[in-house]
Amino acid sequence: MTDEPPDRFDVAVIGAGMAGMAAALFAAERGLSCIQVGNGGGILFASGLLDLLGVQPTAERRLWRSPYEALAALALDEPGHPLARVEVPSIRAAFETMVTCLGAAGLRYAPLGDSNRSVLTAIGTIKTTYGVPLSMVAGVEALNVRPPCLLVDFRGLREFSARQIAATLGDRWPGLRHRRIEFPGCEALPELYAAHLARALEIGETRARTIERLKPLLEDAHAVGLPAVLGLARVGEVHAAFEAGLGVPVFEIPTMPTSVPGLRLLAALESAVSARGVIRRHQATVRALAFDRDEGAATLDLEGVPGGERVVARAVVLATGRFTGRGLTADRGQVRESLLGLPVRQPVSRESWHQSDFLASSGHAINRAGLETDGAWRPLDASGKPVWPRLFAVGSILAHQDWMRSKCGSGLAIATAWAALDQVARQLGGNGAG
Amino acid sequence: MSPAFFQSTLYASLALCALGLLWRVSAWFRVHIGPDARDVTFSRRVAAVFGGAASALFSLRVLRVLGTFVLDALFLRRLFANAKLRWLGHLLIVAGFTLLLLMHALAAVVSAKLLPGYQPTLYPYLLLRNLFGAMVLAGVALLLFGRWRQRRGLPQVRRPMDAAFVTLLATVLVAGFLLEGHKIASPRAFYRMAEQFSGTSDPAELKPLRAFWAREFGVAFGDLGESIDSNAVEEGRARHADACASCHSKPASAFISYPLSRALAQVTGILDSGRADIWLLYLHVLACFLGLGLLPFTRFFHAVAAPVSLLANAAARNRTQSVTVRASRRALALDACVRCGICDQQCSVAPLARYLGNPGLLPSHKLIATGELASGRILQSGHENDALRAADGAFLCTDCGRCTNYCPAGLDLEDLWIAARGDFAAEGLPAPAQWVQARPALAWAESMEVALAQHGFSDPDALFAPLSADRRSFSRCVQCQTCTNVCPVVAQGMDTEHGVDLTPQKVMNLLRLGLRDLTLGSRMVWDCATCYQCQEHCPEGVRVADIMYELRALAVHRLGSVRGLREPS
Repeated sequence: MTDEPPDRFDVAVIGAGMAGMAAALFAAERGLSCIQVGNGGGILFASGLLDLLGVQPTAERRLWRSPYEALAALALDEPGHPLARVEVPSIRAAFETMVTCLGAAGLRYAPLGDSNRSVLTAIGTIKTTYGVPLSMVAGVEALNVRPPCLLVDFRGLREFSARQIAATLGDRWPGLRHRRIEFPGCEALPELYAAHLARALEIGETRARTIERLKPLLEDAHAVGLPAVLGLARVGEVHAAFEAGLGVPVFEIPTMPTSVPGLRLLAALESAVSARGVIRRHQATVRALAFDRDEGAATLDLEGVPGGERVVARAVVLATGRFTGRGLTADRGQVRESLLGLPVRQPVSRESWHQSDFLASSGHAINRAGLETDGAWRPLDASGKPVWPRLFAVGSILAHQDWMRSKCGSGLAIATAWAALDQVARQLGGNGAG
Repeated sequence: MSPAFFQSTLYASLALCALGLLWRVSAWFRVHIGPDARDVTFSRRVAAVFGGAASALFSLRVLRVLGTFVLDALFLRRLFANAKLRWLGHLLIVAGFTLLLLMHALAAVVSAKLLPGYQPTLYPYLLLRNLFGAMVLAGVALLLFGRWRQRRGLPQVRRPMDAAFVTLLATVLVAGFLLEGHKIASPRAFYRMAEQFSGTSDPAELKPLRAFWAREFGVAFGDLGESIDSNAVEEGRARHADACASCHSKPASAFISYPLSRALAQVTGILDSGRADIWLLYLHVLACFLGLGLLPFTRFFHAVAAPVSLLANAAARNRTQSVTVRASRRALALDACVRCGICDQQCSVAPLARYLGNPGLLPSHKLIATGELASGRILQSGHENDALRAADGAFLCTDCGRCTNYCPAGLDLEDLWIAARGDFAAEGLPAPAQWVQARPALAWAESMEVALAQHGFSDPDALFAPLSADRRSFSRCVQCQTCTNVCPVVAQGMDTEHGVDLTPQKVMNLLRLGLRDLTLGSRMVWDCATCYQCQEHCPEGVRVADIMYELRALAVHRLGSVRGLREPS
């Protein structure tokens, strides 16, 4: 560690998943200086679809056409659910800001409205979501109307089967055909990888050859569905070229994770956050976090940076996630918070973590474990008081939610990050700048 | 020593020195290093160097050359920046030796002309001679101390010729001091001088002078006994003033020889009767001449070559030079290298050199191997393994350029390494990536099994293979394929038939299955561009690229030890 005085920031965001990225983005949008620590690789498991709230209550698996009506129901059923604690105008503002920033970073979304949308998945099931990338939105239309359509896959791309999707949906969508083609230039390869195809399609010649192979297959198709490989950084350009070349709407279907849409989302978030001046330490982890009550600052010791690094921040946002993000750690006896050992709201004993029916739609008690916070998103210590006046927690580490079953992962991340940053700005005074 | 003998040996050694210099300097234009240098003829190289020197002389660059001469060649600025102790030692040796050469060795042409009334036995010349000699000795001691201090560090280049030359240098100095010390105490020398300058060598007649010289000048007369008559001393003082004082100051200022003479006083009779004054003189002078004659043939030729290299840098119009000039600079570099080892200490792959147990990776060793390859010695040695290890050393380099940046002699080592790699490849000594990939990964794994069964080959030290030996570093892998998806090397396989055999996530999976040896010869490991995309994207934080790089080092180590084994057929 060097002897230089540590760099000082208004906000330190710990975590680089969806919640950490949203928190860093919103901090920068508010003019706060921000450092973000953590690896964003978890975002690669995302599909690029931004859920807000799809299912409520989870036990009934009730799908909602409008996420805002679902939120109203959630507020009545589970007032302690983190999403129920964010005001609807804040949620709208948070989503608009996120989608605008992603669009500016090259990942454009269809305009957000009041409704959820139905999207095809790689295995032929239908997913309810809110924000849909432009390259996938023609699929929403097609799925609603179900005209004659063509699904195409590439031989060797194992994570996507047009035939399986058609087989699953066939009885409900009679005009859905499927075809398999060779990806140009890869005829000799036994196995293809989605990201490589996406890069190859950014080359005009490969794109043109692919379109030529698709044209004879079109017949009566009103739209064409392809695996999500239409470019990485230049998805808008590639998608437009396919639509122009084929003369019908073209839509991507997300492949199995980790997928190209996940890579695009990570790249767009990284570029949006960096472009706004957030300092990123994406290969580092926080080794120690200490709070100085007199100076009102937190000191973060980072490792994974050559020689180590120490930074000081006036506010800290904990966005370390649940178990896969390693914000929470479960051992045989109990669940712990990994960084500070904060008290975790959890079932009283290991026996009550899961109910006996593993696939029960109501989920398990352990899926709602997490941190308790006060009204200002500050995690509480054992005595029920905030651990530190400017330590905030956002995203899936929060208790009282089961985001996978509620289909609210992105919503939880984006909405709580927005609400917590409101509190950060308030605590740091004025606009918080300085 | 007769003047004729002195002169003939001097001229013989000068002639040897001149021939040696001519031979060594001509090598700068004769020796070919690098495939691109082979077509550059001797005459073109000479013309390029002299043309460049002339153009520098008649331009403003001459000022830069002068500045370099003073700061870099004389005062060793680059060495000062990197190794203070070595700089001090080196400066002491060079300054002490130069001053001794001018004031003492060349007394007849320098001191006698420049210093009025110069006599070697007068103050301050007695003091200065001791001081200069002490500087050289102290400098040698500092350099030896530096080597000793690093004895547990990186392996240092040692060659018998260099050690012999240092011994010769020490012989010159020690014999000189012994000669001076002996002559101070020697009655024989006293009588010879007395005979010459006061016309008598009768001990009785010389009694006062003897008394004075015994007390004040430390001559150890065996017959004088313990007590010296003070009247005789006073009388002797007057005689001394008449006959001796113009050439002799009191020797106490010779702070090395005088204490030495006190020690020798005990045995001065034996030394006198053994004519120590003659054979010490022969030893001193002949060692000087031998050193002079041999100098061009030892690494101390760097005294010529290193300044030439520094001045050539200063005279160059810009850093990029034509292959004609570089061809000569490479050969010059072989001579200008001082073996100081600063490059080794700065070398990025020094840890790998330790791990592989192959000092051939270190720049100073690599430079010698380069010279041996150019002269054909490395191939004639008959040790195939030596040549292979030298080739590994040449190729396992990251081209980071730190050796060039730190070289006190200002050598363009990067250019030398790149040229040497071409030579190794041309001689059929391939890079590790090539010899590893000449056999499939499975064949290597089988060879390793055979070796393990036959010789019980020791497992690599976890200290040097910390990632691949520790399952915590890859057990988090969930086989999500992100690394493969973002890998440009796998992607490159899309349009050639030379795709990789394994993908990064398969390499991680083999590690998880405990089949590390199967990965060592794989094309994925060896074609990895270490772009770090995989590592940056890995959602589980697995250090994929670091592991790939480590596997390569491990492969050179483990596969290198079985490369003699042919795969079982």
